[in-house]
Parts: sequence; structure tokens; C-alpha cells
Amino acid sequence: MGNWERLVWNQRELLLSGLGVTIEICLLAFVGAIIGGLLLCLVRLYVAPLRPVAILLIEFFRATPIFVQLMWVNYVWPEVLGWPNTFFTAGWVALALQSSGYLAETFRTGIEAVPKGHREAAASTGMPQLLIFRRIVMPQALLTAAPSLVNQFTVIVKSSTLVSVITVPDLMFQSQKIVNIWYEPIEVLTATAGIYIAFIFLISQAGKLVSDWLRRTFGLQG
Amino acid sequence: MSETLRQSLDLELFWEYRAVLFGGLLFNAGIFACAAAAALALGLCAALLRVSLARPLRWVGTVYVELFRNAPDYVMLVWVHFVLPLLLGVALRTRIEFHPFLSAVVALGLVYSGYFAETFRAGIQSIPKGNIEAGRAVGMSERLILSRITLPQVVRRMVPEALNIFVSLFKATTIVSLIAVPDLMYRVSMVTQQEMRPLPLYTGAALTYFVVIFVVATLLRWASERWRRTVLV
Repeated sequence: MGNWERLVWNQRELLLSGLGVTIEICLLAFVGAIIGGLLLCLVRLYVAPLRPVAILLIEFFRATPIFVQLMWVNYVWPEVLGWPNTFFTAGWVALALQSSGYLAETFRTGIEAVPKGHREAAASTGMPQLLIFRRIVMPQALLTAAPSLVNQFTVIVKSSTLVSVITVPDLMFQSQKIVNIWYEPIEVLTATAGIYIAFIFLISQAGKLVSDWLRRTFGLQG
Repeated sequence: MSETLRQSLDLELFWEYRAVLFGGLLFNAGIFACAAAAALALGLCAALLRVSLARPLRWVGTVYVELFRNAPDYVMLVWVHFVLPLLLGVALRTRIEFHPFLSAVVALGLVYSGYFAETFRAGIQSIPKGNIEAGRAVGMSERLILSRITLPQVVRRMVPEALNIFVSLFKATTIVSLIAVPDLMYRVSMVTQQEMRPLPLYTGAALTYFVVIFVVATLLRWASERWRRTVLV
């Protein structure tokens, strides 16, 4: 047990700071992905001239591996666009891009699942299109999308381990740093894997509870 | 700006190294095939544990599935490559080292077996009880019921979901470059170090993966839909 104390417990500040960075980058990426996914989805559904562009982007983000995208954003974007200028930004932007493709499709399924009659009923009471979208379509679409949203967040957390490759000091990075100092990987890497597994397990369980509650409170019966 | 843009879209450099780079794709495909086979076999075993009648077996199945389904690919890869050989070495009192290819197959096989287990389980549980009872009534053994009645229906039902998992698995094979399996990404980073021109190389890699994954996934989805329609009544 000496090793566990020396390599894991005594390094807890380093590991916790890494976990902090992991949480931060995942939340940023998640918010970015929701905004990006919503934009892509709305363009795909309602802006006819830009539709092919949106579809191409969605398919590109969905069909490229996250590691490849990370390298691409990290090495190519700064040269071409002059941005992102830090590894941290490159990390969350890449994570957000990938997930925005998936979320765009999730939102689209949610929106298309709203029965047409609901929209027509709202229109017949004289609601303007924007209000129909905000009050009738979006709440139901989000309800359908809730479980997939949580699922996508766990995917982001899993993928976020890769930002350590571009030296973002997340949990994986700090843990590998400890390995490189002491050359004793067993305890640190096992603890790191345990932390990630527990963290992701908790998120998906909490997400399940929340989406069950949402469905029971606001969902249609049956 | 326009100069760098032109450079990044000028894929001539990528094309120059095509033999080396596309050779790397074979490693992606090889690891994918081995890991997929392992994941399917392990996933089926875990699913059978999870639906078994004995409670302790169900528990083992649940722990196995939650453990690997919630483990990030990269963490698992590093753990299998650097920790597992040491643990095995202690247990067997020898010095063991895993070839990177083996580590990649084991790590990805384990992680994705967790996903497959859930898909198998959902499929198994969607089979009407009456089918299995009918099998028992005509005197079929449990194994025969599994292979003749349950599995054929499960496989047909799980195809769309399984395709998604296969796509994720193929995408995950790109991270094996991080433990020095010479796949496409690994070779791209090697060539980049020599040529000092990351733009066309990484753009080329991204486009290659996109085209390969998109085309293969679309074709498979289309073919499997047709197959399902012909065999599902």
C-alpha cells in the first residue's frame, strides 16, 4: 500500500487539478457542441440554400475520428485561420466540433418527432412561427433529445482524455506526468482509470434519473 | 492567409507519400478486424451472463459491462499497454511485454465488448418469451434454443446499432498511433516531422478518414437495410 500512498494519495493535488481541467474543458466543449449542433440543425432544416453545406459539415464532423480532428484543429487551423492560439482552446473546439455533428442529428430527430398537428394547432390559434418554434416545438424536441444529450456528454468526457496528447494538463496528462517521474505506472494509471470510470458512470446514472424525471413530469403519457 | 490556405488544400505532399500513408490504413483495418471479433465474442458472453438466471452471474456481467462501457478508449489503451503486462508479470513471475498491436486489440476489444454486450442484451430481451417456451415445449435444449431461435432474431435486430458501434470502433483505431502502432496517423506525424509541413498532411489524413468511414458506413447501412427487409417478416 506504500506505493498507493506515495504515488496516488500524495499526488492528489496534481490529480485533482487535472480533474478540474478535464471538467472545465468538457463543459466548454458541451456548451459549444449544443450551440453548434443547434445552429447546424436549424440551418439544415430551415435554410434551404445552405442545406448542403450543413449536411456536409455534419457528416464530416460525424465521420472523422476525434483524434484526427484534434490534430487537425491543433496543427492546421492556427496556420489557416490564426486561431485557436492555445492548446486548451484547440482541445475544446475539437471536442465541440465532433459532438456538434452528433447533436445536430439528435436535435433534428427531436424536432421531426413533434407531430405536425401540434404545429398546425398552434398556427390555427394565431401564434407566429417563431413563437410556435419556441413554445411548441423546442420544448418537446428537447425532451426527446435529453437522453442523447447526456450520452453525448459522456462521449465528450471519454474523448477529452486525448487532449493530454496536445499537452492540455487534464487528468490523463497529470497522471502520465507522475508515471514519467517515478516510472511506476501500476498504481497511478489504475487510479486514473478508476476515476474516469466512476466519473462517467455517475454522469450517465444522474443523466438517466434526470431524463426519467423530465419524462414523468413533462412528457406525454405512454 | 490565402497562401497558407492554398498550402493546406494543396494535397500534393500527402499524395507523394501515398504508399506509406495508405499502408498505415491497413493497420487500422487489421486492428479493427481483430478488436471487432474479440468485442463481439466477449460482448455475447457478457450479455449471456447478464440475462442468466443465477443472480451472482448477473452481477458479474453487470460489473463487467459497466466497467468497460464507461472506460475511455485512450485510458484503457494506456492501461493495457503499460499496466497489464506488469500485473501479469508479477502473477506469472516472468517479464512480459505486450506488442503495441496486441495491446491495441485487447484494449479496444474490451472497451467495445461492453457496448456490444448491451446491444446483445437488448436484443435478447426483445425476443418474446413464447418463442423460447415453444422451443422448450418441443424438447429443444437450451443451447439449441440459443443458436436456433434467439440468436438469429437478435442478430437481425441489432444490426443498425452494431453498425454504429463498428463505426466508433474504427474511429477509435486512430488512437493506437499513441502507443506507436504504425497506422495512418502515426505515419502522418512521422512525415510531418521530416517535412515540417503539417497542413496538407493532417488535412489529407482527415479527408482520407472521412471518405473511408463515410463511404463504408453508408454502403453498409444501405446493404444491411436491404438484408433486414428481406429476412424480417
